[in-house]
Amino acid sequence: MHNESDPEGIVARILAALPAEDARPYDWSEFQRRRARARPGRRARTVGALAAAAVCALAAVAVWVRLESRTGTPAVTAPASARAATGSAAEEPRAAEAWLARLPHEPAIVQVGTRADVLGLEDRIAQVDDLLTAGGAGRGQGVSVLALQRERARLVSSLVQVRYAETLANESR
Amino acid sequence: MTRLVEISVSEAVLSLARAGDAGAQQRIYAAVAPATLTLIRRFVGHGAISQDLFQDTMVTLYEQLAQFRGEAPLGAWLRQIAISKCLMHLRSPWRRARLCLAALDEDTSAAALPLASAAISADVIDVERALAHLAPTARAVVWMFEVEGFSHEEIARSFGRSVSFSKSQLARAHVRLRAWFAPQGTESHAQRIRP
Repeated sequence: MHNESDPEGIVARILAALPAEDARPYDWSEFQRRRARARPGRRARTVGALAAAAVCALAAVAVWVRLESRTGTPAVTAPASARAATGSAAEEPRAAEAWLARLPHEPAIVQVGTRADVLGLEDRIAQVDDLLTAGGAGRGQGVSVLALQRERARLVSSLVQVRYAETLANESR
Repeated sequence: MTRLVEISVSEAVLSLARAGDAGAQQRIYAAVAPATLTLIRRFVGHGAISQDLFQDTMVTLYEQLAQFRGEAPLGAWLRQIAISKCLMHLRSPWRRARLCLAALDEDTSAAALPLASAAISADVIDVERALAHLAPTARAVVWMFEVEGFSHEEIARSFGRSVSFSKSQLARAHVRLRAWFAPQGTESHAQRIRP
């Protein structure tokens, strides 16, 4: 194929004259060995990409929850609307709690560090629940109930992250 | 020696290979591997990258063999896979980052050539050296246009660039190669191979 920059086709002729099979690849057994060696790596890359995507999604949810709770600050000065906001804030972690409820109480392989975090978070959620039960009995406590609901949502979000990381770690073993 | 695009394999062997027969897969490997590695080396040079791309190309061949419908020779289908892998490599940001380091040691690929190709004639080594001195993108463009028969439009599409990109890369490659093949005061490669 000739071109203005190579009108006589010299370059084309020289390149076309190069042998089509001058390379000696490794043999079939070596190809098979490399292929077998690469398989776990491919799988690990896939699991790693999924884990990274999950962490990014959780981080985005956490930021969104935090921003949502900040936009609710005017409710602090208006107890009536604060109680309404408390109701919606209580709905947000519902999906996360449903997911947590489906998990076994303890994973198949227990890691000491992660388990301590999980137990700590569960204890704090239980304490917040106690306070909410006590606070809900009184009247005119809208602001503190709202703060407790937000704290609870934050703790549930953290618990979801830890347990999800725990689940991924167990699956990749 | 057969060019990759012309290599075909019988339907019987293909059927066995699709069914996972290791013997048939090995026969296909023996038929296409040398031409495939040669083509990849024309694109990316003789380094370890060419081995990685070759391995990746062959793995893809076996993984996607069920999708090969046999409308063209197997080599033509495999050539598309190999070129696609090479272009992905050339476009990757990791390669661009590595180019900065390679620039510090610019002549290594060409210097290693005679050792890697001890059985090949001096003329071939000369042409390979000339190709190795081109920028990787220019080398890919000139090879696709002059040897593989791609049009400027097809090359532009492959690189996600304009037709003028392909034309200017080709023109620059021609200038450099012609200068390499016709050194002043000595017999040029072009003169040696001219009929």
